[in-house]
Amino acid sequence: MDEITSVFVTESREQLEAMEAALLQLEDNPDDADILGAVFRAAHTIKGGAGVIECGFLVAFTHVVESALDKLRNGEITANADLIALLLACSDHMGHLIGVLESGTAAPGGDLQTDGDALLARLQRDWLSADAVGAAAAPAPKAEPVLSSGGGAVETDCWHISLRFGPDVLKNGMDPLSFLRYLTTLGRIERIETLADAMPAAEEMDPEACYLGFEISFSSDADKAAIERVFDFVRDECALYILPPRSRLADYMQLMAALPEDSMRLGEILVRVGALTQAELDEGLRTQSAGTEPDAAGEPHPAAPLGEILVEQHVVQPELVEAAVVKQKQVSDKKAADARLIRIQADKLDRLIDLVGELVIAGASVNLLASRAGQADLTEATSIVSRLVESIRDSALQLRMVQIGETFGRFNRVVRDVSKELGKDIELVITGGETELDKSVVEKIGDPLMHLVRNAIDHGIEPPEVRAARGKPPRGRLALNAFHDSGSIVIEIVDDGGGLNRDKITRKAVERGLIASGQSLSDNEIYGLIFEPGFSTADRVSNLSGRGVGMDVVKRNIQSLRGRVEVSSTEGEGTRFSIRLPLTLAIIDGFLVGAGAASYVIPLDTVVECMELQAVTTERNYLNLRGEVLPFIRLRNLFEIDGERPRRENVVVVRAAGQKAGIVVDQLLGEFQTVIKPLGHLFRNLRGIGGSTILGSGEVALILDVQALAQLAAKGEETSLSHNQTGRNSLAN
Amino acid sequence: MGQIVAQQQAAPLPLALAVGEQGSQQYLTFTLNGEVFAIGILNIKEIIEYGSLTEIPMMPAFIRGVINLRGAVVPVVDLSARFGGRPTAVARRTCIVIVEMAQVVDDAEIRQDIGIVVDSVNEVLEIPRGEIEPPPTFGARIRADFIQGMGKVAGKFVIILNIDRVLSVDEMAQLATVGASLAPEGEERGT
Repeated sequence: MDEITSVFVTESREQLEAMEAALLQLEDNPDDADILGAVFRAAHTIKGGAGVIECGFLVAFTHVVESALDKLRNGEITANADLIALLLACSDHMGHLIGVLESGTAAPGGDLQTDGDALLARLQRDWLSADAVGAAAAPAPKAEPVLSSGGGAVETDCWHISLRFGPDVLKNGMDPLSFLRYLTTLGRIERIETLADAMPAAEEMDPEACYLGFEISFSSDADKAAIERVFDFVRDECALYILPPRSRLADYMQLMAALPEDSMRLGEILVRVGALTQAELDEGLRTQSAGTEPDAAGEPHPAAPLGEILVEQHVVQPELVEAAVVKQKQVSDKKAADARLIRIQADKLDRLIDLVGELVIAGASVNLLASRAGQADLTEATSIVSRLVESIRDSALQLRMVQIGETFGRFNRVVRDVSKELGKDIELVITGGETELDKSVVEKIGDPLMHLVRNAIDHGIEPPEVRAARGKPPRGRLALNAFHDSGSIVIEIVDDGGGLNRDKITRKAVERGLIASGQSLSDNEIYGLIFEPGFSTADRVSNLSGRGVGMDVVKRNIQSLRGRVEVSSTEGEGTRFSIRLPLTLAIIDGFLVGAGAASYVIPLDTVVECMELQAVTTERNYLNLRGEVLPFIRLRNLFEIDGERPRRENVVVVRAAGQKAGIVVDQLLGEFQTVIKPLGHLFRNLRGIGGSTILGSGEVALILDVQALAQLAAKGEETSLSHNQTGRNSLAN
Repeated sequence: MGQIVAQQQAAPLPLALAVGEQGSQQYLTFTLNGEVFAIGILNIKEIIEYGSLTEIPMMPAFIRGVINLRGAVVPVVDLSARFGGRPTAVARRTCIVIVEMAQVVDDAEIRQDIGIVVDSVNEVLEIPRGEIEPPPTFGARIRADFIQGMGKVAGKFVIILNIDRVLSVDEMAQLATVGASLAPEGEERGT
């Protein structure tokens, strides 16, 4: 795929997203002209771009969609749920077509083509054909009949288009030919004359400049605005004059005056393209020379802007001009917004983050050497450097931060479609969309979120009649929320549906042999069962969910992002899933500890406090933390580190998943900027270790996954006790 | 025993050298518990001295740990333990051979570097195709699928390892799961 195409694909996808969002808004405010405008612009931009890269099938499809949108915008038809559903389907189809383009296939496959044709047929039948007559009557000159004056109307029923491309058109990557080719999608070019008069002598010619102009006789049912839009992309760089069919002779004369070429020569050309007959031309020239100004090639009338003259002469409707002005303004606004954003390839950014990571590691080793050297000025210099490195790290990571709102926004459509399909009425409430998180996390969180949202709609929220019977408002409520919480981001999916049924889950779990019957479990443990592979409490399988495939995948996906998912529920009132994710996958602040010869990193945001381990008299692994019972894990035991325990041990108090625990280590080595290096596939089943990092000394240190450690310890103790085993290492299970 | 190639050999070995002739291929031979093994040279990235290895807890003994290879964290496998023997004891000539593996995981091809601990590295040999015998069905005391063939070098047999099988990330990760649950009994780990 060449560069232009790939840019087109990227931008079109954005346009499609905007279009979809606007369509969804339109559903609530069918008369909002701004929203309509946004939908129309998106479709139009895609069509224009597709025309430029000569993607015929996309142009053909989008053209019909655009016509429907145009009618909608002109108030000829009004938006209702059917039309919006149809348009949404169309925008999906456009997405598929863009996919086809992206894959490099020349034309969409059979099924896709059939789908597209079906959509177009529906559009034509329901929305376009009924008004076809009205549409034909719409074009500007007919709405207010052209005044008959001067030499009367010219006898041709073709549009006349005079086009002079500016010299920079080619340099800006526009191909004049593609516009002409695209023009033919609106109608038929009856005759065309190419004007190369602007071409300078060979030695002065700039091979990269465009000197061409065209006089075109064009037969089409399209209105003036539609023809003008063909040239939107070069509007600033070309001189474009469009005369409607049966314009007054005087208009042609004026056109000739406005064009740079000599009137006589132009006249000939106009005759040649069939816009004028020779007799008409002669008459026109006669009138012109008889006019006030003797030198016709000068500027007889055009002191006023062309637009005004055109309106004055009833060539275009005033609204049309206004629309064009508004449109121009929007285009320039958009350009201003674009200027503040830079598109960067993701891999360049990744490379930067990698380099910053290396810088942090290298900086750590410099610090280590400096502190060993014991020179005060050196230490001071390195501390300044490390502060700068820290700021660079933060800014670099900031570059990758994106708001989660865009991801949330996609669910408007999902909720709408799925709830319709199920006959439920569900409102989606989004809050905290401005919360930022790492782009790589955002990309991977979409699927799990989708699954949870679909589940909530399908299983969580009840049908309206059931809700009414339970005394709830018939309209269900699904809330997506995001917020930052101590170094991580929390995403919540809350529904006000039936909630999880404890008994049902327990029953299913016993059936599947996940738990023994009669085993007493806490609420959390029971709700946690829904994440077991193959577990489903749905009585019947729908095409959305209920097959029991998925929740385990959700959990795994989230865990692979070093995150976790929790569920809480009140039966009859609703369910809340909260996903807790690290803000970034690249660099964290860590707390370095030592046990045996090895060093370990504990994520700093989980560390609450550190203290010395007072001599423990019992063999039990808990201590008294200012009156609280604090269970602790001995890292030496869990990791089977050989050697004698040192005389003084330390406890790092960590908080994980709402509970506190202690980790007993040999030494506390202080804070450490930790560049996370994944351990790779070989260690994917390893629990309790979240990754690795490289220390200033060049050694590899392991990053502890505090929550998993606590679970390991809890589970290990449980199994060892239930098997009535004792052993030095039973904790590690 | 041949010379030690323990220097940093960062540049990948030229491909043409090994694939030049169809008939023979180049192999790196190394010693492990007194026995000579060979692996195809195409997979080998470099050979480094043994040192500064970080152990990974709760893993089976054949996963020795990880090292920092110029900023990348590379797992190191103890071949001797992988073949069911005792873990290699570190001596003066102990080396880590870095092998690049391409493996298909979850339908995506991933490249991963893996280090293997060997007692000493011998030399790079060219073994003609005709000098390679099929592996014996038994008697080698190594899993048959680990052996690609038996090369005849100076009248002796050298076991040519099927490195894709020996260092199969999938299989080792599976074993690691089992190993982790066995680890508490304290029998899996040799250290």
